[in-house]
Amino acid sequence: MVDKPIKGEKRYFVTGNEVVAWAALAAGAEIMYGYPITPQNEVMHYWTRLAPKYNRKFLQTEDEISAGFATCGGVLSGARAFTATAGPGNTLMQESMSMAEMMKIPTVVVVQQRGGPSTATVIYSQQEVTMTCFGANGEGLRVVYSTGSHQELYDYTIKAFNTAWKYRIPTFVLGDGYQAKMRESLVMYDPEERGIKMVPTEKIVGKEGMPGVEREPSHLRNTYNTEDELYDVVEKLVRDFWQAAPEIVEHQEFDCQDAEIIVVAHGVVTRAAQAAVKELRAQGKKIGHFRPVTLRPFPREAMKKAIANAKELIVVESAEGQLDKIVKAEIYGCSKPITGYFKPGVGITAEEIVEFINKRG
Amino acid sequence: MAKEYKIALAGEGGQGVQSVAGIIVEAANDVGREALYIPNFGVEQRGGVSIAFVQIADEKIGSPKFKKADIVIALSDRAVRRTAEYVDQRTTFVYDSSIEGVEEALPKNAAKVYAIPAVDVAKNELHPRVFNIIIMGAVIEATKVIDLESAKKAIEKKLGYKFEQDPKLRELNFKALERGIELVRQAGIS
Repeated sequence: MVDKPIKGEKRYFVTGNEVVAWAALAAGAEIMYGYPITPQNEVMHYWTRLAPKYNRKFLQTEDEISAGFATCGGVLSGARAFTATAGPGNTLMQESMSMAEMMKIPTVVVVQQRGGPSTATVIYSQQEVTMTCFGANGEGLRVVYSTGSHQELYDYTIKAFNTAWKYRIPTFVLGDGYQAKMRESLVMYDPEERGIKMVPTEKIVGKEGMPGVEREPSHLRNTYNTEDELYDVVEKLVRDFWQAAPEIVEHQEFDCQDAEIIVVAHGVVTRAAQAAVKELRAQGKKIGHFRPVTLRPFPREAMKKAIANAKELIVVESAEGQLDKIVKAEIYGCSKPITGYFKPGVGITAEEIVEFINKRG
Repeated sequence: MAKEYKIALAGEGGQGVQSVAGIIVEAANDVGREALYIPNFGVEQRGGVSIAFVQIADEKIGSPKFKKADIVIALSDRAVRRTAEYVDQRTTFVYDSSIEGVEEALPKNAAKVYAIPAVDVAKNELHPRVFNIIIMGAVIEATKVIDLESAKKAIEKKLGYKFEQDPKLRELNFKALERGIELVRQAGIS
């Protein structure tokens, strides 16, 4: 019997990539498939060091196309499997994740966003929002958790495995280069000891029994001959997705109740937004902050409720309007003015949000 | 308890700014403070100026990077020029006195600018290898983010395995730490 990777609760001071590796171990992930790309390299790095001690496996593939499909394969065989990537690697994984959408393969992908377009920087951005939520040919039938701290990287990496396997939806943990590389404190724990039950996995191909005789055939397909046939399948996928959505959506609100201006931000930028709200409230200004934690499905109803009394919204993100586009689509019909503070590929501080809002008067 | 501090440490690759930043934040974390450390890790990491962004506070810290630092420590010519952008009227700017020809590049808007002879002390008095520990001493004295005992503990934690083999190294490192503190006191920074 191999020891549990984490026993009890303990404060750690490590990088985000290390957090992801530990969280996947604690969640009982059996194998990681991966291909190196900065800034997520150390997820693999730590996983390959730790995995053998706990009887877990690792396979380095020849590229991200392969890593994505190998993750699908691992999951189809019944393994709690995951991969991690960033930027151009995320682009290459879209084809396999589109197959995961079609075949309801519960893959888990951790994305540490870097600058874009193309190779750009290895540092940081929030420019992989559109791609992670809606990439590839498909309908965006994915779950995307956008984390903002090491604690959340840990919590949501564990949760991602459960969401994926419970609903059979490909699930993403969307971090970024800052979260990947910085060190800060968090508490690691054994999920079971906190009452978090890991959803059991099962073989999706190669099940016991004669298909069609002793059990229903698995009928795994991603190719269809007629439009009607495809339509029926996609229609069911879409229906299943929206049926699960209310149980999946998550958000946070800060002082929205009486706020005149509400700052909308996700991921690591929520830290700046929260600090900005604190500062502006101290200056006597009625400012609030709404943070979608799931970018897909989006916490639409919660947001509509949170902004009901506001006069104006300001979307703040390290991208040129990727969150902004989602927000506008989700709250369609809302006539409040929406302003963007966009810094593609660049970090955003509380001070600049405060300044931006104060300059507007 | 000390106030929240934003520290930018900059130097050439090999000067050890990242390892010093790492030891300081570990020490702060060990005494229960909130700490956040992020290196610059662009492609410039190879052969460029290395910068460590450190924040230490009593509450959870906001953005990982900051625009303006409370204290900037620049250890090379290029580091002096590169860190000007992190300086405003509240910033204490410290550079090494061995860096020549940077007078015109020193930030004019800093609250205060100080030169400390850390390179000189490392080379002529102690050992070039403990240069970064001198800098660590300078940082903790200038900011008070951790006390001397916590700093020593953190160094022991990081380098203890080397000290086991050669106890003189412990003495050398602790001496370097104390000299760093002295340099800051002599410069009148703290």
